[in-house]
Amino acid sequence: MKIIYTDVLIIGGGLAGLRVATGVKERGHDAVVLTLVPPKRSHSSAAQGGMQASLANSTMGEGDNEDVHFSDTIKGSDWGADQEVARMFVHCAPKAIRELAAWGVPWSRVKKGDRTAIINAQKVTITEKEEAHGLITARDFGGTKKWRTCYTSDGTGHSMLYAMDNKAHKEKIEIHERQEAISLIVDDGRCYGAVSRNLMTGELVAYVSKATTVATGGYGRIYSVSTNAIICQGIGQAIALETGIATLGNMEAIQFHPTAIVPVGILTTEGCRGDGGLLLDKDGYRFMPDYEPDKKELASRDVVSRRMTEHIRKGKGVKSRYGDHLWLDITILGREHIEKNLREVKEICENFLGIDPAVDWIPVRPTQHYSMGGIRTKYTGESQTLKGLYSCGEAACWDMHGFNRLGGNSVSETVVAGMLIAEYISDFCDSHESSMHIHSSKIEQALAVEKAKIEKLLTNTNGEDTYVLRRRMEEIMMEKVGIFRNGKDLQEAVDELEELYKRSQNIEVHRSKSRAANPALVNAYRTQKMLKVALTVAYGALLRQESRGAHSREDFPERDDENWLKRTITSWPDANQTLPTVSYEEIPIGNMELPPGWRGYGKDLTKHHHATPGRQATVDAIKAQLEKDGADRFEIQSALMPYLEKLPKKYRGINERLGENV
Amino acid sequence: MKKKKIDKTPARLDFIQSASGLILGLFMWGHMFFVSTILLGKDVMYNVTRFFEGYYFFGESYPIIVTIVAGIVFFIFIVHAAVAIRKFPSSYKQYKIMRNHIKSFKHDDTRLWFWQVFTGFAMFFLGSVHLYIIMTNSADIGPYASADRVVSEWMWPLYILLLLAVEFHGSIGMYRLALKWGWFEGKDAKKTRDRLRSYKYAITVFFLTLGFLTLAAYIKIGIEHKDNVGERYHEQSVTVKGVQQ
Amino acid sequence: MSEEIKPRILKINVLRFDPNDKNDFPHIETFEVEEADGMTLYIALNEIREHNDNSLMFDFVCRAGICGSCSMLVDGRPTLACRTLTSKLGESITLAPLPLFKLIKDLSIYSGEWMRGLNERLETWIHDKEEELNFDKLEERMEPELADEIYELDRCVECGCCVAGCGTIQMKPDFVGAVGLNKIARYHLDPRDKRDDEEYYELIGNEDGVFGCMTLLGCEDVCPKDLPLQSKIAYLRRMMIKTALKN
Ligand SMILES: Cc1cc2nc3c(=O)[nH]c(=O)nc-3n(C[C@H](O)[C@H](O)[C@H](O)COP(=O)(O)OP(=O)(O)OC[C@H]3O[C@@H](n4cnc5c(N)ncnc54)[C@H](O)[C@@H]3O)c2cc1C
Ligand code: HEM
Ligand code: HEM
Ligand code: SF4
Ligand code: F3S
Ligand code: FES
Repeated sequence: MKIIYTDVLIIGGGLAGLRVATGVKERGHDAVVLTLVPPKRSHSSAAQGGMQASLANSTMGEGDNEDVHFSDTIKGSDWGADQEVARMFVHCAPKAIRELAAWGVPWSRVKKGDRTAIINAQKVTITEKEEAHGLITARDFGGTKKWRTCYTSDGTGHSMLYAMDNKAHKEKIEIHERQEAISLIVDDGRCYGAVSRNLMTGELVAYVSKATTVATGGYGRIYSVSTNAIICQGIGQAIALETGIATLGNMEAIQFHPTAIVPVGILTTEGCRGDGGLLLDKDGYRFMPDYEPDKKELASRDVVSRRMTEHIRKGKGVKSRYGDHLWLDITILGREHIEKNLREVKEICENFLGIDPAVDWIPVRPTQHYSMGGIRTKYTGESQTLKGLYSCGEAACWDMHGFNRLGGNSVSETVVAGMLIAEYISDFCDSHESSMHIHSSKIEQALAVEKAKIEKLLTNTNGEDTYVLRRRMEEIMMEKVGIFRNGKDLQEAVDELEELYKRSQNIEVHRSKSRAANPALVNAYRTQKMLKVALTVAYGALLRQESRGAHSREDFPERDDENWLKRTITSWPDANQTLPTVSYEEIPIGNMELPPGWRGYGKDLTKHHHATPGRQATVDAIKAQLEKDGADRFEIQSALMPYLEKLPKKYRGINERLGENV
Repeated sequence: MKKKKIDKTPARLDFIQSASGLILGLFMWGHMFFVSTILLGKDVMYNVTRFFEGYYFFGESYPIIVTIVAGIVFFIFIVHAAVAIRKFPSSYKQYKIMRNHIKSFKHDDTRLWFWQVFTGFAMFFLGSVHLYIIMTNSADIGPYASADRVVSEWMWPLYILLLLAVEFHGSIGMYRLALKWGWFEGKDAKKTRDRLRSYKYAITVFFLTLGFLTLAAYIKIGIEHKDNVGERYHEQSVTVKGVQQ
Repeated sequence: MSEEIKPRILKINVLRFDPNDKNDFPHIETFEVEEADGMTLYIALNEIREHNDNSLMFDFVCRAGICGSCSMLVDGRPTLACRTLTSKLGESITLAPLPLFKLIKDLSIYSGEWMRGLNERLETWIHDKEEELNFDKLEERMEPELADEIYELDRCVECGCCVAGCGTIQMKPDFVGAVGLNKIARYHLDPRDKRDDEEYYELIGNEDGVFGCMTLLGCEDVCPKDLPLQSKIAYLRRMMIKTALKN
């Protein structure tokens, strides 16, 4: 039996996991990173579009700052986000991007002078300032007031992840790849690491640690069509759930991206529309201005996805053997622009569709894309209920995205959260609290339990076929827990998923019986776990009787703050239960810097909370008073909702910008 | 921090390999033109020979000049071979790996390299023999002497092989030299490479044609002259214009 | 009278071997798959796994040609399987794992370990002066063109195709290969990396480094990201010679 001890165990080698690892290492703690694949192959590498940080270098970003970024993020979240966390995030995003610049990310830079851009199907000339020359530039992304999304050509996530992994090499961080965490080790209400399976040899290893971080990314693959990498299966959320103690937040908040190619679901970046690409229907008609006259194609993702679905339902979709789709037209950007700034898109079109996007339209439709939900944590990244368990990145519900995240806020979250949570973890490890009191028999027991489960899967007879269950689950999620949801479908989905979950307890791995590298075995135990995750999503969606952000109920079209301004919390306290336990966490209005309002899309259907006007009045009064007193924006902010105290000291500094604080 | 001294040998060796290859390559282009002057007639070849023996500078032929030049070339040849031998597969195992790689990968430039190594290996023997003979018999160059060597002294089979070897080796070498150092690269390296490759093929064809015609000419003269082996060539017209002044 | 075009029945020959199984030996197994519109090898292999043999091992992660996980020999040529359309191949397709890398099983290789070794050996990270940086301050400026140029080389996905396509490294496994040389070119270009020419020479100024490259150009021809490997290796060679001469 193999047991490896370390200070901090990090499950997941994507941007979030690696940033935590470098952070705790810098503070002098040992770290081991477990990952299914070499870190550089993590899903983070697929982020093409960019990272949001309010640098305000480019002309179109002028006037941007933390306040604007904050307000965009909160509106984007449909007021579901934790505003303090969002504040911490927007404050640190510029630091994170500058740190990455120092670590080697070749961010695209501002070039002084005139350049042409396409805005709203119109050629315009933008003049970049002389003094901004050579600083990090930004592009336009959906749902933002300013151009704020920083990028490296079309490979932002790739460059970020490579810089981060190289930094991890430099810091000599131990990375154990092809290791899959299959359960968390818990004793006496505290998490002590994880049992991991070596995917090459089948060996089970116990990693025992003071603090354990789950940074395993999203759970998009419970859907049959997703832009996610195929390893985004929610195993991290599942093993947290299986502790019976840790909780998941807002699992029903699933984002659909407007423009994934048909049929394979590979994403074409939002940059396509940000740079001026248009959405067209079967008649070649640009329909978005009819629905969203203001933001048009660049409305928030959930909005564009719903509008597209509506338009397809009106019979305006293009028929194909893979179902209806719409067109994304980027031909107007010109070949030069496409070949330089959207090359990845061009490659995808050539390799997977056999078309040239400089002359042909791209067939697209909304596709599952991002998981706002995840392991519910405090602002420190620690689980609210399980001591010693931390989570960050897409795996977590730290909660700066609420019910819809903005494009570019996600990779940004991974590095900012990673940076901060590394500090909180280090503080924990430095304190007496962190000393370990786990008996080795407990560790052995944890290993034995997992070994028995695997033996059962391999030796079971007359059992269920994994693929049948898995495919059905994916279909149900797609058809009944998709962009538009309704009570009837959701009830059916929950019922059938529960049935599938029960059947999954009797899976038999047919034919392929190896205990070492065995894809069939992996598929079997993952499917069991994925079904749990799928249930939390479907059940949460069924219970939430309102529409908020990406969660859109046809039978409850309005956002209902009075009853639903709260987070869905799911847990699985008893291993024998077949449905998750659901409870709710209030989102208090009393300390909101930005009280609930209207997001500004479509008709305002919000049923406001009775406390909203009061808070709004308070906020307005404080602002008015302080403005009169000549207070600056930092003072006003701090009077409304102080948060700096929560940040680690070294990240409290005020960000410099051109023309501000320089 | 005191700097460790870097080991310059690998850089030198690579430089020497390329420089020697380049010199030999250029030399061979010149060589083929000189030797092929036989196609323009015995007189022309005779005069070229006399030119290299310094006749037009000193008014008299000094074959020792040719011996010295051949010696220098031989030296470069040996240096080149000695340096380039590093690139040979160093064991049967390596050779086998390369063979299999080429067989399954089917990649043109890798094949070219293989041919270059193979022809280089052949030239160890073929080239050495020729150079040794030329060096030691530098006086015996001329329309009849050369032809006699080709036919009556049985050099023609060796020349056929040497010609093939040196032409393939040389043109592939020059092509790869350009790519290796990024010469003529221009804006689009891929296009340049395609162009260089077509030049390479053209040069191979050109020199092989020229070489075989030349060889045929020597063989013809050699057969005609078979009965008078050892006789030296003298110009038919006694005065050579332009030289008398 | 529209004539239904019958879909092709593809014969997919897979070189299989499970090193964990003492009784196994490398052998070819052939699977038949009915071709569908827009089918890639990713789709075909998953169909085989779902319907024919669930023990077949292969690696896909992004399935979009982005992550570099799925490189394998397709009819002898190293390439990314996920973005290879079957329609571009013949009816009989032969798949084999990339050579040189440690085999996990069937088409799955342990390339991550190899790449990490390379990164550690070449120290492929920014070597800055050990000064405390303040990230509240404006970032250091960089010429936009230079940033683009660096990104151009940063695009390598560590797929290992260039390694599998290089005869030199097959013969001499200590050779850094095009992937390593490209990385050095990338850091050499980067003003944030403070290593000087001599330090770079230490890393690759030898027979296992740039002078080991025999300009076979298999790397250049198979790189799925079309990196300018030939130019960059040539550039490094010139630079290394200069460094040696200058010293
Ligand atoms: C196509 C696409 C484009 C995107 N573009 C953008 C964009 O432009 N801007 C933006 O902000 N966001 C974008 N996103 C979202 C963003 O990429 C992700 O949210 C983010 O990268 C997640 O990073 P992460 O570190 O949390 O997780 P990941 O990068 O997904 O990493 C997860 C890690 O966990 C490991 N792991 C998983 N399970 C286990 C286990 N059981 N045991 C051990 N290890 C495990 C994996 O090996 C991996 O290393 C995009 C997403 C997609 C799908
Ligand atoms: C004994 C004779 C010779 C041997 C063994 C030999 C061997 C080789 C080998 C193995 C190479 C390849 C080196 C590499 O891949 O890096 C090479 C390169 C080359 N050879 Fe030769 N060669 C010989 C004679 C010649 C001759 C006569 C010429 C002139 C035509 C020549 C011209 C070249 C050129 C131009 C190169 C390219 C140089 C380089 O790549 O750096 N070689 N030789
Ligand atoms: C200074 C050095 C050299 C001199 C003076 C020289 C001279 C000659 C001469 C005079 C001939 C005509 C045939 C004969 O007289 O035998 C000849 C033919 C030939 N030489 Fe050389 N040579 C030299 C170097 C080389 C080298 C280095 C090579 C290649 C490795 C080479 C390859 C050949 C070949 C292939 C032929 C036959 C060509 C034909 O008939 O088409 N020579 N050489
Ligand atoms: S250089 Fe090209 S072929 Fe080589 S690893 Fe990088 S992307 Fe792959
Ligand atoms: S294939 Fe190999 S030998 Fe050099 S040019 Fe490429 S690294
Ligand atoms: S699976 Fe990512 S490149 Fe093929």
